[in-house]
Amino acid sequence: MPTRVADLAHGRSGDKGDTCNVGLVAWDDAGYEVLCREVTEERVTAHFGDLVQGSVTRYELPGIRALNFVLTGALDGGGTMSLRSDHLGKVMYAWLLRMELPG
Amino acid sequence: MSGRTVRLGAGMAFWGDRVQPAIEMVERGDIDYLCCDHLAELTMSILAKQRAKASDRGYTRDILDLLRGALPAIVEKGVKVVTNSGGANPRAAAEAIATMAKELGISGLRIGVVTGDDIEADIDDLMTSGVGFENLDTGRPLSEVRERLTHAAVYTGCEGIVDALRQGAQIVVCGRVTDIALYLGPLIHEFGWARDDWDRLGMATVVAHAIECGGQATGGLYAGDWQGVPGLEELGYPIAEVAEDGTAVLTKTPGTGGRVDVGTVSEQLVYEILDPGNYLTADVTADFTQVHLEDLGDDRVRITGGTGKPAPATLKVNMGYRAGFVGEAVFTYTWPDAYAKAQRGLEFLRTRLERADFQYTEDHVEYVGQTSMFPGVVAEPDDPELTEIVVRYAARCPDAENARKVFTESVPLYNNGPAGVAGVGTRPPLKELYAIWPCLIPREHVTQSVEMLEV
Repeated sequence: MPTRVADLAHGRSGDKGDTCNVGLVAWDDAGYEVLCREVTEERVTAHFGDLVQGSVTRYELPGIRALNFVLTGALDGGGTMSLRSDHLGKVMYAWLLRMELPG
Repeated sequence: MSGRTVRLGAGMAFWGDRVQPAIEMVERGDIDYLCCDHLAELTMSILAKQRAKASDRGYTRDILDLLRGALPAIVEKGVKVVTNSGGANPRAAAEAIATMAKELGISGLRIGVVTGDDIEADIDDLMTSGVGFENLDTGRPLSEVRERLTHAAVYTGCEGIVDALRQGAQIVVCGRVTDIALYLGPLIHEFGWARDDWDRLGMATVVAHAIECGGQATGGLYAGDWQGVPGLEELGYPIAEVAEDGTAVLTKTPGTGGRVDVGTVSEQLVYEILDPGNYLTADVTADFTQVHLEDLGDDRVRITGGTGKPAPATLKVNMGYRAGFVGEAVFTYTWPDAYAKAQRGLEFLRTRLERADFQYTEDHVEYVGQTSMFPGVVAEPDDPELTEIVVRYAARCPDAENARKVFTESVPLYNNGPAGVAGVGTRPPLKELYAIWPCLIPREHVTQSVEMLEV
């Protein structure tokens, strides 16, 4: 039984200004189905908590079994301004991989 | 895949990237074009600052390192190079390349210089003629930062590149063209695609996006089965064999490290995209949603399914403005009570800063190795048995003088603060901040032009 996103997918994240995107790529079709069902905007919003100040929007790329999450207000003012060590959001994907799946 | 293909190599992904992959793909990647992206959001601010100091600077000088190694083979094999290393000063970059070519004994080389992206000198006229340049994110007027601007460059499309290639340029040096344009330009030139053949342009945009970050498509930064990627130390960069319909087979230079498969390419396809159904570029609005990958084995992946829609009526402008400095201090406390001592050390630092009339807008505390990657969602490391804790304190300050105070006031932690401290270190270089002012310009205000140098 998969217990968290990392059991089903790998991912990559990056920056556009103060927006960070996190892409998840499922290892197989069954995993993609679970991701689509369980990794909702609401759950991702709650999982990122204070790390994301703005909104979370989810997009689907079924041909490569991928979901793309766009997180606004996510990088402390953007890559050129951020005080964080990860000012470019390069490791934000890892936080989403760590999210627990329900049940 | 039948019929003619054009082979595009992704030579560079950012200013300072390794140049060896580009040299290898020229020598043994059988490429027709070497496409090199050198510009990130922040890069233009730094280059504009260099140009302000010296009129022959303001481009990314890594293009010279690359060409010093690759130019003989480029000339011998007839490979064409398309690069945005011109940055804030494409003409100076082209002249430096010409000088180097002469030193290498090369003659007959045509270097095209594409300009038109730099609108800094025209901002006031453009505003008079009704271009608002309001901040895309906040809606605020440009007047708020006008005096602090470092540069204003339009993310321009590929028409200048196509024009330069048509005029016989073997090297095309651009300023802030989009990363995608570096790849679309050669394809439009070779295949003669119509500028409104949106589906082909969209498909080719997907291909370009898949490879434009170099080693990130060939196993670098791979989060999947990263243990299984061979030869990261000699990672090869990606090559796209693009067919007349815009679809492609992605591969890499033979005999190099890394891996090209559905996993590595998929990860790169989702890198730095927003709405995949509307990937905006200066040349086309691409649709990634139906993209499909097929593993052909031997580091070959077929990519299909990209489509396109008309390009947006406006172009994005990358403006940067000076936004102060960062002051930073790092220090480490050990067991026992490492966390409690870190708290006391921070209190010491903040009190001393306050007494030094410290001016700042925001500050930030991270415990490196504990909370620095995911601040705000990971608990404070308050276990008294913790072996060590690294404190990083950073603050955004209005000027260099205030930023310097952070390190200065941290130094007395060595002998005036709690015991068990180490690693205060030496004064770090000050980091100047440049903020990005994202805004739009109607495309009719932007015209690229081409100038040709000949060695």
